[in-house]
Amino acid sequence: MQHFKLNRRDFLKATAVAGTMASAGSLLGGSLVPGAEAATTDDTQIIRTNCRSCTADCGVLAHVKNGRVVKLDGDPDFSRSEGALCVKGLSGIQALYHPNRLKYPLKRVGLRGENKWKRISWEQAIDEIAHKLMEIRAKYGAESVFASTGGGGNPNFNGACRFCDTFDTPNWFEPGAAQCYMPRTLIYGMAYGDNKSYQGTDTSLGDSNGVELYFYNERNAKSLVMWGTAPAYSGPSQAGRVLAENRARGLKTVVIDPRFTPDASKADIWLPIRPGTDVALGLSWVRYIIANKLYDKDFLQRWSNLPYLVNTKTKMMLRGKELFKNADDKTFVVWDTKTNSAKPLPFPYDDNLDPALDGTFTINGEEYKTGFQLLKERAEPWTLQAAGKECWLEPKSIEKAILMFAKDAPSSIALGVATDQTPNSTQAAQVTAVLHILMGYFEKPGVLLQRYEDKGVGGLLRTTKLKSFLSEAQLHKRLGSVEHKGMLHWWIAQPTAILEAMTTGKPYKLKAWLERSGNKLGTVANASAWVEGMKNLDLIVHIFLYPTSFSAYSDYLLPATEWLESDFITASLNKCFSRKAVTHLYETANEAWIWAQIAKRCGELGHENCKRSFDKAQTAPESPYYNTYEEQLDHWTSFFGMTWKEYKDKTPFEFTPMERFRRYYVYKEINPKTGKVKGFNTGTGKVEGYMESLIILGRTGQPFTTYPLPPATKDYDPLPYYLKPSESPDNEVGKEYPLVMTNGRLPFWHHTTLRNIPYLREIKPYAELWVHPADAKKYGISQDDWVQIESMRGKIHARALVTEGIAKGVVYMERFWNPENLDTPTHGWQEMNVNVLSKQTAPFNDLCGTYTLRGYQVKISKAKEAPKGIWTEPKQFEPWMPQVSDKTKTVEI
Amino acid sequence: MKKTALVIDLDRCIGCYSCEIACKNENKIDLGVQYNKVFTMGPTGSFPNLEMYYLPAVCQSCKNAPCVEVCPTGASYVDKDGVILVDSKKCIACMSCISACPYGARKFNEKQQYVEKCTMCSHLLNAGDQPACVKVCCAKARFFGDVNDPESKVSKIIKEAGSAARSLPDEGNHPATRYILHDKTAKWQNKKSWTFFENI
Ligand code: SF4
Ligand code: SF4
Ligand code: SF4
Ligand code: SF4
Repeated sequence: MQHFKLNRRDFLKATAVAGTMASAGSLLGGSLVPGAEAATTDDTQIIRTNCRSCTADCGVLAHVKNGRVVKLDGDPDFSRSEGALCVKGLSGIQALYHPNRLKYPLKRVGLRGENKWKRISWEQAIDEIAHKLMEIRAKYGAESVFASTGGGGNPNFNGACRFCDTFDTPNWFEPGAAQCYMPRTLIYGMAYGDNKSYQGTDTSLGDSNGVELYFYNERNAKSLVMWGTAPAYSGPSQAGRVLAENRARGLKTVVIDPRFTPDASKADIWLPIRPGTDVALGLSWVRYIIANKLYDKDFLQRWSNLPYLVNTKTKMMLRGKELFKNADDKTFVVWDTKTNSAKPLPFPYDDNLDPALDGTFTINGEEYKTGFQLLKERAEPWTLQAAGKECWLEPKSIEKAILMFAKDAPSSIALGVATDQTPNSTQAAQVTAVLHILMGYFEKPGVLLQRYEDKGVGGLLRTTKLKSFLSEAQLHKRLGSVEHKGMLHWWIAQPTAILEAMTTGKPYKLKAWLERSGNKLGTVANASAWVEGMKNLDLIVHIFLYPTSFSAYSDYLLPATEWLESDFITASLNKCFSRKAVTHLYETANEAWIWAQIAKRCGELGHENCKRSFDKAQTAPESPYYNTYEEQLDHWTSFFGMTWKEYKDKTPFEFTPMERFRRYYVYKEINPKTGKVKGFNTGTGKVEGYMESLIILGRTGQPFTTYPLPPATKDYDPLPYYLKPSESPDNEVGKEYPLVMTNGRLPFWHHTTLRNIPYLREIKPYAELWVHPADAKKYGISQDDWVQIESMRGKIHARALVTEGIAKGVVYMERFWNPENLDTPTHGWQEMNVNVLSKQTAPFNDLCGTYTLRGYQVKISKAKEAPKGIWTEPKQFEPWMPQVSDKTKTVEI
Repeated sequence: MKKTALVIDLDRCIGCYSCEIACKNENKIDLGVQYNKVFTMGPTGSFPNLEMYYLPAVCQSCKNAPCVEVCPTGASYVDKDGVILVDSKKCIACMSCISACPYGARKFNEKQQYVEKCTMCSHLLNAGDQPACVKVCCAKARFFGDVNDPESKVSKIIKEAGSAARSLPDEGNHPATRYILHDKTAKWQNKKSWTFFENI
């Protein structure tokens, strides 16, 4: 097979020479593009690989002619996508050969923001960056260096985290995390158990869960609730397509979304919820299901912790040991209705008992309630009417949706990113986890929550954190995470706390930012505040595929490989696949290698931890850093007893047989070690609807921390609670800013990526503001008008899409930026970037520190004209069409 | 005689635009031109009782193709599979076909100075492959085949759909393309005439 081989030594040698011919030039206009290299061979190869324009890894057949990628087809053998590709994946060629890609390491020569650059060698770039980092560390402490990463299909998501652990700084962040997925992985991990080596353990369709739906021919699922998720938009070639298959086979669906999305248009019930009020709705479901006894009593008694007695003063579950001799750690106490007395319940259960679900009991003078009772009391205020009022929904429709979820069984709730983007983030995950528990929707045929055994292939074989390298003193300094200990789950700092420190120097100064992702200014809340704060930094490095607005404020730009240039381990259900570097352009390098090189150089300059990080014995059980990416790949594939080359040549192969991979009722299987049923991987061995574990987390940092931490200022709530949106039409802010802003995906982009793809921008050249006709009329706006949108934090523009497909009083916008304005004073992030408006300040989610990306207040008015310089006509995107590249290298291996 | 046409199941179609982009990639189409363009039909009704569907607009593979009839040079022709094609070498850019097509499914290529349209990816069909838009379709909503052969998959789909098999208005051109849309998904929006792409 023809294949480019990334020989790092040659690579560095070549670039060292090229670096001496440094030239200055702007990021646009291709002054850094040398002439084309002649073709070497004449045959077209079809190489099986995987996309990474988002995180879903769809199967791709790349047609490569003379080292140049000429066509992308879907791979019908990749079971999750079955030959489909979305428009993001289909943009792979225009992205790879984009004339404005970052081609070489660049160093700023003008003032920050002036956008003047000089080409330098990799050696020089790494050396200068490492020197600066070491200097800052000596002067301000390692914690003043921070890193960040983000979406855009980054496969080495933990690259930034691993570097920070190694450098002994606790500060890395991601604009997603607390705002995307972490609230769900945290809560489902606590409620359902720590299920690292399984697939399907939370219900995020956008994160390759909901695996059961892929077996659509079995027609097991009868209904599905899509809550704040729009798979036809966010993942059409996987979850979106699988929903279409399931619907075609009779699956009934409820869609809870302020927008009338494609999935909403095909749903049996659409609940256009007011953004930010999901927990109120969820609690009304809990209340209705309990009041109407729709729950699965047997499951609750045997397999949940809801019958366990909880001390109402301490909020802790009563341990068997406290009352009964010889009780073991997994014995808790229930109220037996047969004997009307407290009884120990050893794991898994005792058939002689009939544990009470509700009730208040007094034992030895102390008051106890069951978790179920506490839950019931918590949900009590949320009648259908109350929820209808708060969520702007019809009570009748809410009831219909609940009945579909409870009676068209088995069902599940696929919870999307929407609820992660408000301070109610973890509570929303909690209330949906509780709803699954009430209905016993675990590991049955047709439900989403499953433990399909993937041996960690899906999640573990990639860059991992290096938690043991972060010292105790430094862990204590992590910004925001002592108060918000849920962040320990992803081992991450809070964006707002980073912004605060960067801006005010409190609690300490931040001095260097290493950033790997697309346009951070399009993803962080209140982008303008970040640009202000960045002025206080001495070093800003941007690692990405092409320059974005963020690059304009940076000191060094390091070119990362596109997915068509990178090797990686991938998987689909029970099969292994491989992403292959089918070509290679210029001097782009794999991100994993870039981080390793910076660490290596810091080690050479005397950083002990960085030196140790290359020693396998010291990093075990995690991977060490390697000097080349090939060695890193070999390390990962050694899991299979293969080198990367052997692995890649063998793919696709089954890493586990389907019958081993896909098993129902894992909790009822016998654990050969104990001779008892396996149960769930939680503290109680049961699914936990009453989450005492959150109290322990808040007080100690367990189970995620490596060292004991001081308690948060208040205990985390073991039950879901509803926090009203802090900006709301019915409070002071709403008087000036009457409309609720929400956000959400479109099929064209992944986060802030791909705004520079001509074929995509031709379809969606500008940001649209969805507004209901009644509101449009009220504010004097007609279809296609340019509109000014303003929040307490800033103002932007968009074009009006007047539509019934959004509730009155709500407006919607997607994140947008304008690469065509990169070389102007706005650097493209100020025109239509909805995150100029979003809210980075308190209130935060208790556990994760989540701020507000959806559900804040704005006002709108007709604008005079479009923002300056933006491209709106198809022909304007011509300069971005693919061009002949240099340094496309083909090597026989 | 064979009549190869597309059949698109709008109950399934999720409006993902993959067919539009795959078509542009495969046929290296200029900016500003589409052979296949996804339209959002709706939402109609009033909040919150709404309907919506997507309509990928494409050459309707007319059985009685006016574009071929009016072509003075024979550049527009019907091939062995019943696909309507343009021989760019014979096209004199008189634009007659563009005005003859009731749906505006043809476009003038300014760079190359000839008329272009959906080719049913005949270069792929001839190589034993399928049209790019059919292969890539996320919802497996697109089918192609011989509508004149009652045993073909497309004929069976059309038959099974009964009255849910819709066609664009027929002005004597007899479009062969069918869109499957059941009322449960959304009501078919009947219009007197359709123009997908603006003509010059
Ligand atoms: S969903 Fe699209 S972007 Fe994501 S992996 Fe699949 S084809 Fe690529
Ligand atoms: S739709 Fe237009 S281009 Fe296609 S066959 Fe009919 S008349 Fe010709
Ligand atoms: S058949 Fe080919 S040319 Fe016609 S719309 Fe589909 S992809 Fe485009
Ligand atoms: S690819 Fe298929 S599902 Fe997507 S818009 Fe086209 S026809 Fe519809």
